[in-house]
Amino acid sequence: MAASKKPASRFDRVRQILNDAQGDHVPDYQGYRAFWQDIETFKSARLYGQWMIAPANHGDGNAKLESSDEQVGGSCCGGQADGKNADDKNPNAMAGSSAGLGQGPAVDAVDIEPTLPASQPDCWPTGDDGHSGHRSGDTSRSDRSGIIIGLRGQSPFDGTIFPRLLWSAAREVTESEITFIAQWIDAGCPADDEPDKDSTDGPRGNAPAGNALIAGQVRAGQDDIRALACGDMAHQVSGRCTNDEMDQRGGLHVRKEVSSLNAEELGRLREALACMYQYNGYWLDERSFDFWARIHTNSCQHGWEQFLPWHRLYLYFFEQTLQDYDPLITLPYWSWTDYADVNRDTYQTEQPDLGVIPEAYRCWLTEAAVAQLQDTGLYSKKQLTGLRKIARSGEKFNSGLRLLKAAGVPYTLAKDPQTGQAIWSDATRAVYNQCRRLNPLWFPNRWPGSLGAPTHYPKPANVDQLLAIPNWHDFGGGPSEDHHFGALEQMHNGMHNFAGGVNPFFNDAKKLGIASPDPQNFENPAFGWMTDNRVTAYDPIFWAHHSNVDRIWARWQELHPGQQPGDLDGSQPPWSLTVGDALSTRKLGYEYMRDSYHYPTTQGVGISRFKGAGAGVKRQVLDTHRRAEVRLHRVRRANIPNCHIRVFLNSPEADASTPVQENPHFVGEVSTFHGSCYGGPRHCALPLPRSRDNDLRPLHHHEPRNFRLDASDCVRALCAQGADDLSVHLVVLGLDGKPVDDALFIDGVSLNFMD
Amino acid sequence: MTTFKIHPAIGIARLGNSDQFYLAPEQPGALPVECDEQGRETVDDQGRPVRVSSFKEDGDLSKVKRQAARFRVFAYEGANDRDGREIKIGDSFTFTLESNVTGRQRVPGTVTDILWQVHLANKKASWYEFQETDGRHGYSAMHPLRNPTVTQPDQRRQLIIDPGPQSVSLARPQAQFAQGANPGYPQTFPPADIAPNPVTTLGALKVNKQDDYQRLIVLGGHGHSGATGVPVISDFANNDGWFDDISDGPVTARIVYEYEFKFTDANGKPQTQIKTANMTVQVPAWVVVGYPRFVPELPDMVTLDEALYDINVRRFAYQPALFGVPPYTSTGNRPQSEEQWRIWRNDARYNADYYPKYYAEIWPILKRPDTYKYVFDFDLFEGSDPHNTGTGGNLDQKALSQPPMKGEDPNYQHRQFINKILRAPGQENLYRSGAISERDPNYRPRLMPMLSGNNPISNTAPEKFFRLTDTQLFLLKQWADGKFVNECEEWDQDDADCKNPWAEPPTSGEGIDRGVLANLLGGAFCPGGELGWIIINPAIYSAPWRIHHAIYQAGALSLPKPIADIDGSPAANLDAGLEPGDLTKYIGIPWQADFHECTTQNINITFEDWNNIELDSTGDPAPQTVAYDIPWWPAHRPMVVQLADPAGAQVYWSSGLSDNNAGDLQMVSEWNNLGFIKYQTVGSGDDASSGYFQTERNDKALGAPIPPGQRQLGQSNRRKKHV
Repeated sequence: MAASKKPASRFDRVRQILNDAQGDHVPDYQGYRAFWQDIETFKSARLYGQWMIAPANHGDGNAKLESSDEQVGGSCCGGQADGKNADDKNPNAMAGSSAGLGQGPAVDAVDIEPTLPASQPDCWPTGDDGHSGHRSGDTSRSDRSGIIIGLRGQSPFDGTIFPRLLWSAAREVTESEITFIAQWIDAGCPADDEPDKDSTDGPRGNAPAGNALIAGQVRAGQDDIRALACGDMAHQVSGRCTNDEMDQRGGLHVRKEVSSLNAEELGRLREALACMYQYNGYWLDERSFDFWARIHTNSCQHGWEQFLPWHRLYLYFFEQTLQDYDPLITLPYWSWTDYADVNRDTYQTEQPDLGVIPEAYRCWLTEAAVAQLQDTGLYSKKQLTGLRKIARSGEKFNSGLRLLKAAGVPYTLAKDPQTGQAIWSDATRAVYNQCRRLNPLWFPNRWPGSLGAPTHYPKPANVDQLLAIPNWHDFGGGPSEDHHFGALEQMHNGMHNFAGGVNPFFNDAKKLGIASPDPQNFENPAFGWMTDNRVTAYDPIFWAHHSNVDRIWARWQELHPGQQPGDLDGSQPPWSLTVGDALSTRKLGYEYMRDSYHYPTTQGVGISRFKGAGAGVKRQVLDTHRRAEVRLHRVRRANIPNCHIRVFLNSPEADASTPVQENPHFVGEVSTFHGSCYGGPRHCALPLPRSRDNDLRPLHHHEPRNFRLDASDCVRALCAQGADDLSVHLVVLGLDGKPVDDALFIDGVSLNFMD
Repeated sequence: MTTFKIHPAIGIARLGNSDQFYLAPEQPGALPVECDEQGRETVDDQGRPVRVSSFKEDGDLSKVKRQAARFRVFAYEGANDRDGREIKIGDSFTFTLESNVTGRQRVPGTVTDILWQVHLANKKASWYEFQETDGRHGYSAMHPLRNPTVTQPDQRRQLIIDPGPQSVSLARPQAQFAQGANPGYPQTFPPADIAPNPVTTLGALKVNKQDDYQRLIVLGGHGHSGATGVPVISDFANNDGWFDDISDGPVTARIVYEYEFKFTDANGKPQTQIKTANMTVQVPAWVVVGYPRFVPELPDMVTLDEALYDINVRRFAYQPALFGVPPYTSTGNRPQSEEQWRIWRNDARYNADYYPKYYAEIWPILKRPDTYKYVFDFDLFEGSDPHNTGTGGNLDQKALSQPPMKGEDPNYQHRQFINKILRAPGQENLYRSGAISERDPNYRPRLMPMLSGNNPISNTAPEKFFRLTDTQLFLLKQWADGKFVNECEEWDQDDADCKNPWAEPPTSGEGIDRGVLANLLGGAFCPGGELGWIIINPAIYSAPWRIHHAIYQAGALSLPKPIADIDGSPAANLDAGLEPGDLTKYIGIPWQADFHECTTQNINITFEDWNNIELDSTGDPAPQTVAYDIPWWPAHRPMVVQLADPAGAQVYWSSGLSDNNAGDLQMVSEWNNLGFIKYQTVGSGDDASSGYFQTERNDKALGAPIPPGQRQLGQSNRRKKHV
């Protein structure tokens, strides 16, 4: 890859948007002319008294990172991993000071009174204004900035005092472009940073392709909408978060395999965790991450039939808390078997810390982080060169220890004079702090690999064997009067131990004169914390691990209906729900998917032929999925003619004449069965969305319905023919077999893959 | 739901002794509009209204044409429709059908006609005396009545001129507010023998249809004023025994529409029948008849539009971005209940971040004084031009239009100077400003505007000098501080009309409301021009621009409370709304007296709080008398005007009318012979000269006009209204 050309920065993109929208004629703007051209002018200009970019406030989502106006963490829609600059007040830091005395709250275990952080956390969204996180709307810096207020046409740019910005413009700035500018402002208006590489259109990974498409349609007028509706133009796959797409169509939230999360989804999860870490000093605060980790310590159920239901609820309640922070977050799952091949080679007791875990949970450094490390004066020139080298390589390491080794920085310990136990040296701690800051999903007491025979690492066939178990006892464990481990829990136990692993340097503590090092030490324990059910949930990978357990149970439930724990009324403290309440993931609001691709459509325009662009299905998804499914979302049904809908894959020319027999591209056909209207005016209009908690009525008669078609065989056949991407195509036929354009009104089409 | 409203909210007709008429202008400072005898607007080949070229009948300079008030019905769809659109015959709407049989229904229908009703009356002679500001906040029981000897209620009702209501529609396109023209209504008219001119009508109604728009035309009286016995005038506002034919009253309308009535006949067969019904226009209007506008193109220093805008802004949440409860959004400033209104009125304030538009909100105020040189001589002896708007002038249009640019503000001091010499609230009795210059503490310029106020006459609540409205002063303060936008340079560089937002006739309902009012006097009110201070009393409004209509009985219009209480008949009550005649009853009778006297006022400023100083009283220290002649409203009652030939030559406008009570009486019969002031270009080439010059003066009746300085025949312009 040619490295010579510097990629355009986000500020470049902001300028480009505004220049393009303004066009050739630039009005006075009170003498500033194109005030956005120069970053300093942009930040200081007051256009008729309105700050174009509001001064940063203490309460801004990212203002804490803003002393240098550089961005570190993320922005309101999509935190990012590769922040460039570091910051002194790292909320994810492992420990408070380099003096070596403090125990960082993030790794404080049970029974230690935490020390409250020096600065009060203020990142969690709340109902009142002024004290809230970034989602509270009216307090973010962008919401206070005249350029955003003006572009949106809000008061005073609503015509009452000033016209909407930009003035005398060639075109209006689109909503997605405004969002991009707002995010750039909330990120601290960096003059020089890179948009995500995988983002092609505007707002980093967030580029709501659907929005852009819709905005484009508005510009292009009715012609494009018609072209889309009759298949002359391709529908594009949305770049938005899957849960956002699901929310738009009234679908369940999706827990995806962690490698399928896009940059935005991953960023949102990391940002939420980073915020939760800030409350760790408050023991009873349910916004604190450690509060949730301690619940496992105190209440977890293992070795009997409540293991699966208790942990399902544990994840559910934790996920609900994350969704308080950001409703689009769901817990990802860690499909162990994806890593079976590599781990069976490295999973050995003789040499610990060689296992491979999902990339999202690994650690890395950036050059900015190295620059901060350099400022500590703790590292030799050679060590700094090594650190810089790994930062430049962009490599992500499966453990902190491996990162140190690769950089040539020795893992060193010190003796805590107060406890007499080993703690990290300042040099080790400073690197770990940077790792944790850059990736809140990383955890220091984690040495994946080792512990047990390599053959214990589960392969897909092992999971298939689990799924074939025909009864609850063997699969899920026994009741209290006859308790025993279930097979799934046993596999889960092994993976706990794999994820935590063995600390190769545990005995180094003895070199410090510590006669009997504490195996449960907070720093430098004998084993990774994932191996110890007392502290396991402090490691963020715990949640992905248990998501996978829960997923396998859910899949098993589908295969073995009626097989369930003996005591459905069993209470599961601290949860308010019983075992029986935990049986359905759908009732708890989620389902599992390897990945999901959405084509938004224009509701209200009848589709006669639907052409989908290539969905960009990831190679790994094509290789590993178990089932593929095409879904038609929210098909309107009231007073609409019946029709047949034929579904094809990779068949852009499909029409009424395309054969359906012996055509490997043909997925299947569904027929609609609607009724005509019998009520008064607008009886058949779309019902209002349900909004009342106490509305116990069944599904509304005219609520649009969903169709699902199993596309697994079709996908397999096409992949066998060498297809490396998939696209969805629909042909709509009337009952007479002729094309119709007034029978299919939908909110979207999606292509989904399940493990 | 469609809301129907009549526009303008307040229409203005003007007296004339001719049967010919033209239409009221709907833009500030615009000439009236030519029309045919049905009142159909004359348009040129570009569809623009044709302006009047002559205010008098062809060949008869003693016949002043009347100005008609035109009304139209607008439809508003939904709460966010601020502009509305005029309804046409043939338009379809969903109407509310009131039926005794089925209760209220909503039916689709087609407009076939509009049934208008207007009720004009003149209550001046039956009302209280005008006593300057006394009465503005309610009349005491001791407040003198006009015609005080008439105390028997039924006799006093005879002092009201009440021709009764009249209706017109396409089916009956004309009606007269004339004596004998309202069978079955207990009309009251003045005695037939009043002199010099009896009052037998207050005007007439017409409807016309133009491009399928059906419109109402209201015509006022003929300028007839007369008194019982030997007519004499002894006061500028109160003259017992006098009547005039000024009037005002409510304008209501019903939309006549056809709809399909579906029913099942006796045989069970469904039938359809076309039926006609009518629906009341929900928001009615008012019409005021005033005296002629002799200088139609020069707006007053404060127009009635501006005076009411100030009230609407501060009392009715009319423009929350300018005045409201922070953050000044329209959604946050929609009080509904009485309680919410009370809270709003306590909490609302001017928005310090409001940026007025220079050509829409600032320049119209600043440019006016300079134009008054065509109707007044500011500096009789030296001819200086204190309001010059050219380069280097005190009111330099170009320099004052430049907001700070990139933080540079070279005109800051200039704007601040102008703002500092504006008379602020509380300075109504001050002649000079405080020190405005650090270098010269003795430099205390005269406060502006240098015009007479609401009471430079009596010692009760004096307001010697006039000031701009609170809202105008706020806008000017923002401007002086550099908080304004030059909208022509910032937003509308290509728009030739941008420097005059009123260049084209308004098409929105409120645009018409405001454009019409902009040609009425907005102060000072002593008692006033077309209307007195009652018009800026918020209590008379039901909504911005809209007079609150009262319910009243035929032949029993209200009387002042002391008289009404005698027989328990209805007493005037602002809370209950206004009846016909309730707006104009507050101004002088006959109108000619005050009109003639409103030239300048010799205002004594020796003591701030007193207008009248009793020099003859014993024991008081001899006061030092400091008094100045201060003009009233130069654009409404011109004083020194310019001739077209020789162009620019100055003359007294009212030459021929003496400057005393006898002159007031002359005005009663000679007003129609006076000249109008109109923008003209005379001469050609290098000799061409443009300006507002006098035209159509009837020298045959009044003699040749006299230049200033030639003070024979009592042409002193030093005059004082007396108490």
